[in-house]
Amino acid sequence: MAETSINRKDALLYGGAAAGGLVIGGAAVAAVAVSVDNKKPPIEGAPIVAPYVDGELPNTDPGADAWKSAERTLVALAPQQIAQPFLDKAGVTALDARALHNGTEVALLLEWDDDSVDDLDGIRRYHDAVAVQLPTRSGAPPALTMGAPGSPVHVLQWRATWQRDIDSGGNTGVDQIFPAVIHDVMPDDILPPETAQLYWVGREAGNPLSLVKRSTPVEEVVAEGFGSVTHLSRQTAVGHGKNENGRWHVVIAVPSARDGVGEPLAPGTSWPVAFAVWLGSQENRGGRKHIANWQTLVLEPR
Amino acid sequence: MAKVSNWQLGREMEYPYAADRPKKQFTMIMDTNKCIACQSCTIACKSTWTWGKGQEFMLWNNIETKPYGFYPTGWDVNILELLGEQEWEGDVYAGETIFEAAPEGERVLGWAPAEEDWSHPNIGEDEPTGNAEDTKYIPDNPHSMMWMYYLQRICNHCTYPACVAACPREAIYKRPEDGIVLVDQTRCRGYQECLTACPYKKTMFNLETRVSEKCIGCYPKLEQGLQTQCTTSCIGRLRLTNYLSAPDEIDPRKPADFLVHIRKIALPLYPQLGLEPNVYYIPPVHVPTKYLTQMFGPGVEAAVEMYRNAKDDPELLGLLMLFGATERIMHTWDVADGVARAYDEQGEEIVAVPLREPTFVRPFEFATEVAGEPTTAYRHNT
Repeated sequence: MAETSINRKDALLYGGAAAGGLVIGGAAVAAVAVSVDNKKPPIEGAPIVAPYVDGELPNTDPGADAWKSAERTLVALAPQQIAQPFLDKAGVTALDARALHNGTEVALLLEWDDDSVDDLDGIRRYHDAVAVQLPTRSGAPPALTMGAPGSPVHVLQWRATWQRDIDSGGNTGVDQIFPAVIHDVMPDDILPPETAQLYWVGREAGNPLSLVKRSTPVEEVVAEGFGSVTHLSRQTAVGHGKNENGRWHVVIAVPSARDGVGEPLAPGTSWPVAFAVWLGSQENRGGRKHIANWQTLVLEPR
Repeated sequence: MAKVSNWQLGREMEYPYAADRPKKQFTMIMDTNKCIACQSCTIACKSTWTWGKGQEFMLWNNIETKPYGFYPTGWDVNILELLGEQEWEGDVYAGETIFEAAPEGERVLGWAPAEEDWSHPNIGEDEPTGNAEDTKYIPDNPHSMMWMYYLQRICNHCTYPACVAACPREAIYKRPEDGIVLVDQTRCRGYQECLTACPYKKTMFNLETRVSEKCIGCYPKLEQGLQTQCTTSCIGRLRLTNYLSAPDEIDPRKPADFLVHIRKIALPLYPQLGLEPNVYYIPPVHVPTKYLTQMFGPGVEAAVEMYRNAKDDPELLGLLMLFGATERIMHTWDVADGVARAYDEQGEEIVAVPLREPTFVRPFEFATEVAGEPTTAYRHNT
């Protein structure tokens, strides 16, 4: 597949090529033949159609049978070269996306090739991750560059490190990065907990990145442009990721209501949606990422 | 990119943000000639700020032997090599800074140290350089061609910090009240762009909290009028925590202004990189000028000459004597009747130090004869 390129002008002014094809209110649905056959190859550029599911979504199970009812869309990825710092070369060129919804929750299954599992954060040691970007309001999509002032986006990011935090019960620090580490006396060995805690300043300051005990591997943020990611005080997104045979399979799910964030992801509506992928082994982090142009997410009527 | 004025380069330069100098600038003066690399400063800093889990490798303050010591490994030679050979034309820097030399898609020319680069903080310790074959070891002038010296390193709290320039989240900021550069611990998202950008490699990544941390200039002490932990623990009394005025507001009564701008005896570290670093070094007197010029810029020869003649300059000598004489921050000082005195912001005397300690001569009659030998020396412990 050819590498796509997204130029700065498209991204900033028009919100990407998908803007022209944006359909609100389900009008596009009629044109899309929904197939339950999962063996068909993913179709590049096709709308990501989320069939309505009656009941619970597999919101933490990337291997669930329910996913077979959703058609896969191939989403081209390109190195982010709009805002500094750039990702200088691509490590992955596409991801497969599919979606389900049940009227109260929307779930996406995202899959991409990565034969290196990077799930610890250390010095020059970065993690694998994927993010879903949605506008907060209907209408023309915001700038692809994580929105713009006055034109926010709602971003759901899954990180392999956070998945390992959960799967391992928080054993994701120095002792895992350096299994042979020998500690001298540490503050938590000799000080009362409330005093020892002061030596983990990020945690003490309430930085969500510094949490070890976390309940979800997905962080929900809003942004109005690159560098403006703001952690939401109310975290509602869930998900789960696993790497099998050199491929990540990650579910990201969010309640449709989007209380306090934006307009609900209601059945029968369509939304621009964009993605980003980070490969830890390629030193991807922050803006050094792979991005997709705006795609269309169609939520089928009930 | 904005045009900003960098007095250390004698010219304007490119920087991602407009100039916004603080009211006064935290600075530290280091007299490299007095350091014995005892690492008291390193331990004082470590045991105050960075003994937490996740900070094992972290030394906000370190002492390294030059030319072969580095923490992290190769920090200065790597950026010098990346930048390539550059020229000074007199006092004006004719080369490129790391902002001006940034490749496409980057804000700063930089490199990221690997894990192992942080694992050898004392590499190269006490290793001299020079051509040993040329050394007249016997009978005179031993090691005449050999040299090494100790470099004291903290964050430079630069006027134009590369960490600030590189952070895509604007999570690093410079305090307007004293110019101290801090990482906002709530805003950092652990991208480590600052680790790549800072040529001095003085931002560090906490392995437990997953955000960057750095030297905070002991600001809780500064706010009480006290010098930093590394300064007050220095047994060689070679450090001075002080404030530097903006280049157009130089006040010769202020210690840092006097040393940096009036006597020009204290020089910035790798000024050619373009950050206007605010730790200033009195260069070692025994090291080849060529090497020192690369490290401290074109003022090296004059600074060494100034230091050698300090004995004849009571004002300068008095100030050097006041280094390490008090925990409090000096605002002014004077020298009268062989005594140097330091004063606080209100002009109250903090400390007084004689330029020459009184000498007592012990009478020779206490010397004793040993085993029939003539009494040519004092005997102790008898």
